[in-house]
Amino acid sequence: MAVSLSSIVLLLLLIIALNWLPAPGSAFLIDRDPTTSSATLEPHFTDCISRDQETFRCWWSPGGFHNLSSPGTLRVFYLKKDSPSSEWKECPEYIHKNRECFFDANHTSVWIPYCVQLRGQNITYFNEDDCFTVENIVRPDPPVSLNWTLLNMSPSGLSYDVLVSWEPPPSADVGVGWMRIEYEIQYREGNATSWEALEKQPHTQQTIYGLQIGREYEVHIRSRMQAFVKFGEFSDSIFIQVTEIPSKDSTVPFTLVLIFGIVGVLIVIMVIVASQQQRLMMILLPPVPAPKIKGIDSELLKKGKLEELNFILNGGGLEGLPAYATDFYQEEPWVEFIEVDEEDAEGGDKEDNCSSDTQRLLGLPHRNTEGFSAISPPDDDSGRASCYDTDLPEHDTQMLMVSLLPGQPEDDEASPDAPASETSERPLIQTQIGGPQTWVNTDLYAQVSNVMPSGGVVLSPGQQPKIQENSSGSERETQKGGKPSKEEQKKNEPRFQLLVVVPEGSGYTAENEARQTSTPPSSPVPGSGYQTIQPQAMETKPAATTDASQSPYILPESPQSQLFTPVADYTVVQELDTHRSLLLNPPPSQSPSLCQQQHPLKAPMPVGYITPDLLGNLAP
Amino acid sequence: GSMKAASICSSDQAGCHFLSLANLFDRVIQHSARMHGISNDLHSEFELYFLPSKNQIGRVNRNCHTSTILTPNGKEYAQRIAREELTEVILKLLVAWRDPLWHFHQNMAQQLTFSHFSSNKSLEMSDMVHELQKGVQKVAEKMQTLGIISNSLGNLGSPKALLASDGAEWRLMNDYDLLYCFRRDSNKIQNYLKILKCRTVPEHGC
Repeated sequence: MAVSLSSIVLLLLLIIALNWLPAPGSAFLIDRDPTTSSATLEPHFTDCISRDQETFRCWWSPGGFHNLSSPGTLRVFYLKKDSPSSEWKECPEYIHKNRECFFDANHTSVWIPYCVQLRGQNITYFNEDDCFTVENIVRPDPPVSLNWTLLNMSPSGLSYDVLVSWEPPPSADVGVGWMRIEYEIQYREGNATSWEALEKQPHTQQTIYGLQIGREYEVHIRSRMQAFVKFGEFSDSIFIQVTEIPSKDSTVPFTLVLIFGIVGVLIVIMVIVASQQQRLMMILLPPVPAPKIKGIDSELLKKGKLEELNFILNGGGLEGLPAYATDFYQEEPWVEFIEVDEEDAEGGDKEDNCSSDTQRLLGLPHRNTEGFSAISPPDDDSGRASCYDTDLPEHDTQMLMVSLLPGQPEDDEASPDAPASETSERPLIQTQIGGPQTWVNTDLYAQVSNVMPSGGVVLSPGQQPKIQENSSGSERETQKGGKPSKEEQKKNEPRFQLLVVVPEGSGYTAENEARQTSTPPSSPVPGSGYQTIQPQAMETKPAATTDASQSPYILPESPQSQLFTPVADYTVVQELDTHRSLLLNPPPSQSPSLCQQQHPLKAPMPVGYITPDLLGNLAP
Repeated sequence: GSMKAASICSSDQAGCHFLSLANLFDRVIQHSARMHGISNDLHSEFELYFLPSKNQIGRVNRNCHTSTILTPNGKEYAQRIAREELTEVILKLLVAWRDPLWHFHQNMAQQLTFSHFSSNKSLEMSDMVHELQKGVQKVAEKMQTLGIISNSLGNLGSPKALLASDGAEWRLMNDYDLLYCFRRDSNKIQNYLKILKCRTVPEHGC
């Protein structure tokens, strides 16, 4: 056992030694030991290479033996092991200047082991390692006709892909299929020392990805037989460089132009909109027909400035009303005037107006609270549908209208005209029933001078509200002045008997009686009433308090809605219109049915409307 | 486009046959290329395990069991001999390697020295030889049908007849020599098939 073991170990060692010991001479197929000094080197083969698998060449070197370097001193012999009885033959073709032995196609057999040796005069230099088969020593020639094309650019414009294409080496018969070659591309950047190798592949083109702009790349290719080891030489290098692509610049101005164009278009649109703003507003937001109040600016109503409105109506309206009315009525006969009550200020409470109208009718001074709520004067409503719907108020309106004498703004001037106006009031009344809206300045309230037992009410000519007077103070005075005149008229001329059915008119009648009795014409209650009602009017009113006879009876009325702020009782007919109706100073119109309650400090809206532009003419 | 299906043929009978023959050739050539690649990989791996530094080619005693088969050793020879001979040579080689590779795989599977990767390759190699042999047989039959080659091949269907000798000479080879010999023979098969195709259907990729 021990012997067998030791023999086996020895055998192994021997095998290893044989394998590892350097053989005599050095073969070209294995790496040469660099420590071996060249001086003692024997003649040997340096390499055997086949380029096309049909021929091959072998090169030798004399080594350290320079005396053997001359041609002919060393001879090449080869052994082709295609049969057991093969012999060593001499090199079929020598190329001495290269120390090369060339084996042509006739002497080349693939898949058959070859062995080569050098022979001197008497010495044979042979190395067992110098045996090979032709397919294993094939090193194909490098490809030819290298060129590259740009495939695409990265979106950032910093890197690009390149397609490299080439032709197979002409020496290799690839077409017949005798050799199947695979290629390996290597590239490096500029002056880099190491090459970058791509994967081997058998096709004659390959893509290199991710090259950088502006850098120069060097590319070369080598070939190898598929499934074999040895590579051929590298091809000649080609250089790839791509500079900045100029197309990028063309996009920059394009975007700028686009931005500027859009900005310009926007500016043009804005200019058009600004210039045609009015028209555009008309188109987009058509104006809603606003109520036209004579002498009243709707803006004032919106703002709830009743005081100003009343002031305007009282002061400016009185003065400018005739002219206004004339102009207005002539120019725009179709304009309908609606009464604006105090809704804007206090939420549209018709009862408020009623109280003021009542006060006006009676000539009572305006009291905030007590007393006057019972009176519900008829409502001269040219625009108030609610008030107008009731027959009673209409009737009352008629009655009242009749009593309203077209008083003259002046004190005595009105008297001669009063009868005429009174007489004309009858048709006026009737017309008013039919078309109250045509009334421009109609005072629908009149002072009841007497109440008949039958129930009829004798109305006295209404006072003319001196709206057209310039100063507010003078207005009041004239009003008051007018009222006394009316009082006189009232007395002078027996009234036409009108039936005034005022449901709540108990107080009213009483007051009328009271009024009747009182000789002195009550001061224009409107004036006093106005004083109480409208704070601003009250400034001027103190002067009119002298005529306070009327004042306690007249309910305060709000002049804001009309030019003639005061004068609830009497109306002065300003003129005759084309329809043969009397133009009276528009009294505050209220629906008697609504006038149930007493309204403190409610300024009744005068009858009639003016448009804002006309108000401008009337405003003081 | 070498793996085109045979259904591409439409009308022309002869053209269709040629097209399918070219496809068959392409398939077997691809097969043989893969087989040669695997054999090369296995051989290189063996060299890592056994005696990597020494050039084994010089061992004169190396004798492959297929050395008895006369094979053309050059391109001109391969182009000169008859197609029937070339086809017969290919088939002989393939038949000769079926059993040795099968046994080689069996040995490798049992030995734990080799990696799983090598064991799979040996199995694949063994299967490929079998598949390639059947494929080349089909090509031969097709060529016989088309009249390209005569029927002198006779009983190509029986592989046993192609065996030069029914001796198990291959059992004497060690694994490394076996791999070396198979690597050489697979290269031969690959080359012969390529030349045969370019001689038979030259216009398709030659």
